[in-house]
Amino acid sequence: MAISALDLRRTPRRAGSRFRPTYSTSLLTRRRRRMGLVLTLPALVLITLLIVVPIGQAVYYSMTEWNGVTTTWIGPSAWTQAFHNPTMWRVLENNALLLLSVPFALGIPLCIAVLLHQKVAGWKIFRSIYFLPTAISWVVIGLVAEHFFAYSGTLNSMLDWLGFSHSHTNLLGNESTALIALGVTFIFSMIGTNTMLFLTGLATLDPSQEEAARIDGASSWKIFRHITIPHLTRFIQLAFVITIISAFSALFSLIFVMTGGGPGYSTTTMEFLVYQTGFAQAQFGTAALYGLILFIIMCVVGVFQLRLLGAKD
Amino acid sequence: MSTALVTPAHVATPPKLTPRQIRRRVARAVLLVVMILVAGVMLYPFVVMLVTSFKTESQYLIGRGSSLQSWKDLNQTLPIYQELLNSTIICSASIFIVLVVGGAAGFAFAKLQFRGSNVVFLTVVSAMMVPLQAILMPEFVNMAKLGLTTSYFGAVIVYAALGTPFSIFLFTTYFRRIPDELIEAGIVDGLGYTGVLTRLILPMALPAIATVTVLQFIQIWDDLLVGLLFLQNPSQRPITVGLAALAAGRTTSIPELLAGSLVSALPAMLVYLGFQRFLIQGLTMGIDR
Repeated sequence: MAISALDLRRTPRRAGSRFRPTYSTSLLTRRRRRMGLVLTLPALVLITLLIVVPIGQAVYYSMTEWNGVTTTWIGPSAWTQAFHNPTMWRVLENNALLLLSVPFALGIPLCIAVLLHQKVAGWKIFRSIYFLPTAISWVVIGLVAEHFFAYSGTLNSMLDWLGFSHSHTNLLGNESTALIALGVTFIFSMIGTNTMLFLTGLATLDPSQEEAARIDGASSWKIFRHITIPHLTRFIQLAFVITIISAFSALFSLIFVMTGGGPGYSTTTMEFLVYQTGFAQAQFGTAALYGLILFIIMCVVGVFQLRLLGAKD
Repeated sequence: MSTALVTPAHVATPPKLTPRQIRRRVARAVLLVVMILVAGVMLYPFVVMLVTSFKTESQYLIGRGSSLQSWKDLNQTLPIYQELLNSTIICSASIFIVLVVGGAAGFAFAKLQFRGSNVVFLTVVSAMMVPLQAILMPEFVNMAKLGLTTSYFGAVIVYAALGTPFSIFLFTTYFRRIPDELIEAGIVDGLGYTGVLTRLILPMALPAIATVTVLQFIQIWDDLLVGLLFLQNPSQRPITVGLAALAAGRTTSIPELLAGSLVSALPAMLVYLGFQRFLIQGLTMGIDR
């Protein structure tokens, strides 16, 4: 397929030019390649100038002390200093703790997808409803969540109604619990996307396989465990990667609206620390460094994803 | 299948059900109840926004009564018309760039391979993994130096650059399915590459274009970080940023804030409900086949 019909229309080679496989030098092939380059160029320029070059700049910035006005070169020791900074470790700990929400952000959608896949009457309406929060901004979800967790909010009204009026909570106002509220909101925000992925996966399941197992007397649980789950492996991996990426780099809106990173540093994650350090404290160099650390973490996740995409072929 | 036993004659006096049938029916009923409960949870944000927006601050605090006051005052707190317009301008411009630049490159990577194009493709696709926060500081400094943080253009090209890698991935995957012979036939018939692109490929690419548009629209419309930093001029703020800035100030009445939330959420919800299919396609691109 790589050598297409076009390549067979070879043009005579100029005398004296070194021999190359002829299919690579026909007039049409050359025209095609030139066109390929021309069409890729705008994308390359855009990505180079706005993504690749800034990574290099960030490396340089990370070794300077810069407040936007004066720049002092520090060198690689800026990195050792950062690793001795307790704030960064405190924040990374928050990131690690937030990863505890990942099993829920996968498990709950998996259950919901299985429910939807039973296709009870009106399941398409339910599907639309379940996916609806996917469309709205995490800024909006954060605002509603703040209302839910607030001292006079829905959570406490529910506790009242259940007769626990003495155990009023103020999750967001407490250093030890604010991260839990953030994690719960994150799980809620991921439900739509992950359910969508799992449901797509279930749709590709061959119903006759399930039928056969049922006739052989397998229980629903056994079918789920030994047929459904293995079939969904790739979808679960993809959902896992998307959820992890989101946990590291998509919580900004929620944090900005719900807690502003507080109380203290209790809900500051690495991505929020970049923003705080750079824009609230105007330490551009340190912020760039934190950004790079986040980038390194994402690269590790990326390697995992590439292996996942590679596994496909 | 089992319900076929229930003939009209049985309707007046319920038939005796076998234990198996009873179990099935109970299971169905439980399933339905659970699904309704989940629906309640997923609709919670919308119900809260709707109900609370029809209260005044004091009605909200005591928990009863309703009023149109928050909606009447909304435009003074949050310039919704201007901000909806800003969101629309920024979204359309960025999506246009993402489609043109990403579509062209995707076509090239799929059908017009040049020496090293696979390596370039992999590099471009891995740019998908770069979170904005990783390059936030240099990006901001560059844009500020060029004076682009006080015009729409800065935010637009940042959105475009962030959206292009995924759109290239999606377009490349899509175009790979188009047979080479079709393009060759077009070239041989003298259409030229411009002709092939506009007259042959463009109409075929409409589903991929729709997918990229819907995904990018929701992404950009809902985004906070880029709009917050790269649009320093408050009159150019998109609605999501306006809302978040207002919320961070913590002085606005909650009913008004939630009324604003509802306004900001509506366009994305409508796009989602109208184009759900394309959203799902985009999300699972490359793994379902």
